[in-house]
Amino acid sequence: MVLKIFFPQCCNKADSGLLVGRWIPGQNSAVVLAVIHYPFIPGQVKQYIHQMRGQSGVDLTVLGSWSMPKEGQEGMESFLRDLSTIFPQGQWLQLSREMGKIGFRCHVLTRDPNGKLIQQEKELKEDGGGEKGGTKRGGGEKKGEENKVEGEEGGGEKDKVIFIHYEQRKVMLSQLHPIDNGVPDPQTESQLPQVFGTVCQSEPLFFLDKYDDGPVKMTHWQSEGREGSIIVELMKQASTPVCLLTTWMLTLWTSLCSSRILNMRPMRFISSKLSTCVQLSYRTEHLQTVCSPTRATAHNHFMRKANIFVSFFVDVSLGLLLVSWMYRENRIGKLANTLVPAADYVAKELEELLQWLMGAPAGLKMNRALDQVLGRFFLYHIHLWISYIHLMSPFVEMILWYVGLSACLGLTFALSLLSDITALLTFHIYCFYVYGARLYCMTVYGLSSLWRLFRGKKWNVLRQRVDSCSYDLDQLFIGTLLFTILLFLLPTTALYYLVFTLLRLVVVMFQGVLHLSVDFINSFPLFAMGLRLFRSYRLAEGVKFRVLCEEPGTPLHLMMDINPLKVSSVVQTYRTPTYSCYPKDSWLALCKKLFLGELIYPWRHKTTKID
Amino acid sequence: MGADSGSGAAPGPAVSWRKVLWERQPFPDNYVDRRFLEELRRNEGLRQYRYWAVVQEAGLVAQQISCVALFLTLWLYMEQGLLSPSTLLWTGLLCALLGYGLYQALAPRGDSDNHHRTRWSDLQSASIFLSFTFGFSPVLRTLTESVCTDTVYAMTALMLLAHLVAFPYAHPSPPGSLSLNAALFASVCLASRLPGDLHTSGGLDSSSSPSSLHTFTMLCWALLVFALWPCLLQRLRDCAPWVFGCVCVLVGVCGVGGLGSLWPGGAVLLAALLGTVTLLCPLLLIRLQSDKDNIQGPWDEAEIREDLTHFLH
Repeated sequence: MVLKIFFPQCCNKADSGLLVGRWIPGQNSAVVLAVIHYPFIPGQVKQYIHQMRGQSGVDLTVLGSWSMPKEGQEGMESFLRDLSTIFPQGQWLQLSREMGKIGFRCHVLTRDPNGKLIQQEKELKEDGGGEKGGTKRGGGEKKGEENKVEGEEGGGEKDKVIFIHYEQRKVMLSQLHPIDNGVPDPQTESQLPQVFGTVCQSEPLFFLDKYDDGPVKMTHWQSEGREGSIIVELMKQASTPVCLLTTWMLTLWTSLCSSRILNMRPMRFISSKLSTCVQLSYRTEHLQTVCSPTRATAHNHFMRKANIFVSFFVDVSLGLLLVSWMYRENRIGKLANTLVPAADYVAKELEELLQWLMGAPAGLKMNRALDQVLGRFFLYHIHLWISYIHLMSPFVEMILWYVGLSACLGLTFALSLLSDITALLTFHIYCFYVYGARLYCMTVYGLSSLWRLFRGKKWNVLRQRVDSCSYDLDQLFIGTLLFTILLFLLPTTALYYLVFTLLRLVVVMFQGVLHLSVDFINSFPLFAMGLRLFRSYRLAEGVKFRVLCEEPGTPLHLMMDINPLKVSSVVQTYRTPTYSCYPKDSWLALCKKLFLGELIYPWRHKTTKID
Repeated sequence: MGADSGSGAAPGPAVSWRKVLWERQPFPDNYVDRRFLEELRRNEGLRQYRYWAVVQEAGLVAQQISCVALFLTLWLYMEQGLLSPSTLLWTGLLCALLGYGLYQALAPRGDSDNHHRTRWSDLQSASIFLSFTFGFSPVLRTLTESVCTDTVYAMTALMLLAHLVAFPYAHPSPPGSLSLNAALFASVCLASRLPGDLHTSGGLDSSSSPSSLHTFTMLCWALLVFALWPCLLQRLRDCAPWVFGCVCVLVGVCGVGGLGSLWPGGAVLLAALLGTVTLLCPLLLIRLQSDKDNIQGPWDEAEIREDLTHFLH
């Protein structure tokens, strides 16, 4: 069996002492976390380790001894070997390094059933199969397992030792993906997550630095002095009261929103249609998540909170920028003054379109009577709509001025507002579309049913199939008359339907683009992306190894580098779930609905998923 | 393939071959013995046709063709303005009443109660027809305004052909859906192509849109000819078969004559067609019977005769 020892880089030049770490069960590997230096009292060491075990929950033990004699010091192998009796272990590692040489040497003492220690020969084999120089990539598969460095060639009792060096700080801070949400079983979990987990959970071990007056003197990544920053500390102190205040305000707001007045059917219907209200409720939920006073324990929750906070911050700053640009030089007033003329222009274009349809559009032959009827009907509607707009025109500027202020809440609000204003201004197009679609739908259904009558068949609702049927004379007569009429009127209704559907689709596409961009701003994980770009070791997909030292006579030394998560995986994993706008039907279903004249609402909102 | 000619070695066996599926026999799978094709029957359901009976039946087909020709003649008369729609309308109503009287007179001796009820429902049907036709006439007259005349004629021809093909010659009385609907469709197409009446619909449009009366008349005649006449014909056939033959001949002559008054060439063609259908085609049928070669055997699909009445008890 190959013995793998994970050795922190910071301890490469540490003074001699005891190795503290953890044996990984079942994998024949050990993780070295720190080195405890002389002088120490074994009793205090044991007590300290016991205390640390309780605080961190990691199964810390003394793994063995580390010897790096300085110049002038003689080796302490025999002393170190005697230490093994004080700290009874199953296996005792004796690592030693000489100044000037790169490789380590390792002796492993096992306790045989009698209690005696036997030494096993270790250093003689060259590295077997596995690595031959260069870098190797590990991980990226399901469990992120490193490549097993097997490859013994005969000689069973001569075990190999491999030293895998790791940067302690980076491994402590990094999170291995894919994240396991449950409580993993230590026996079946694979090696790499266990290593990462061990280092991560041993944080209490790294609190004592060399300036502290503790019972033991240790070397680990923080032993040169703990990092800290005043700003971070201040923010941590200030965050709790701020969070409490925000939570209280949010509770007030939600209770106001769910009051009875605002919950009546019409209000609820309107607020579910206006995307601004939807976005508002959505942001309220987000804020509630962010400002909850409890600390986020799991990595997922922390990332979610951070993402929401950063995206909210960016959103609000962009919104404030937009507001300041728009309200300078009274641009908002100018915008309001162009709204009514724009609506007038749209109405005029529609009127011209209808006049064209009432003539002979594109040389198509329309039924004149029906043409005139439909054209006049729609023209009258447009006339009504324009009167309404003109009625509202004195108030438009003021309304827009106040409503535009709500863009302070974020760029997403500004975009939602734009989408809502578009919807309101093109309401008549929506009405026309509905009329045209209903008329066409009735025509098509009537035609299909009467076509069945023409052939002497009938739709059997019970069996959901077409059956033959013997009709009466008068049924046949009237059915044929109606069939003829509907057939010859079909081109006219189809043309009106086509024209208004196209208009409606244009509006829907525009709104869809706005919604998609709102959705993008809402859900894009900015914090995770920033982390991936600037601190790529924090999001790890796996590890890769490169060979540090391959001298004959010494064990193999590998350097474990963290493989950062791919950018696409970052986005996929940390995307905030939103009420995302997604197309409800596939293209084929959409085409079928258009052909039959059913009303289409291409974008459907999902409700926010609760994680 | 005669007996004992299975491809492959047929072992002169001690066992004889049996036609069973579940037993392994020492014969190859495609072995047949000399009883092969014993159960083949040729031309089992062959009917012996007699010439004049077939001619009589073919008379109905000729009669229907002549009906269509008569209808077209009426339309031609109205289109060329030789007949005014009101005349035609009253003639049509008179014919309808006469036909109805005849229909009732020939009715089988049932109970008068049945008659009473049927008369009331007949009246209802008639009023529905008339009101709907009259109501839809203004819509129908401008229906095919924008369609090119050639298209209209082509559609009409197609529909009339469909009517002739799908007509239930065996039993004309409940009219077949497809045939009746095709005929009505054709008549609507034709009705919308009639020339207009100048002092009806306000003289603003000088286009030749027919007046409502033209359309109404056309549709009434279509109903008479295609929907009601077959019912009377069925009654005649049931009650007085020799009258039926005379009526067919009469209708044929009227058709040819009517068409001849406007288009002599068409009349000649129609006469030729009628002659072919009535006299030539039965001859062909009988001649070709001798070339028939159907085989039946136990390999045919099972046919269920619809006699499940014994399940009722």
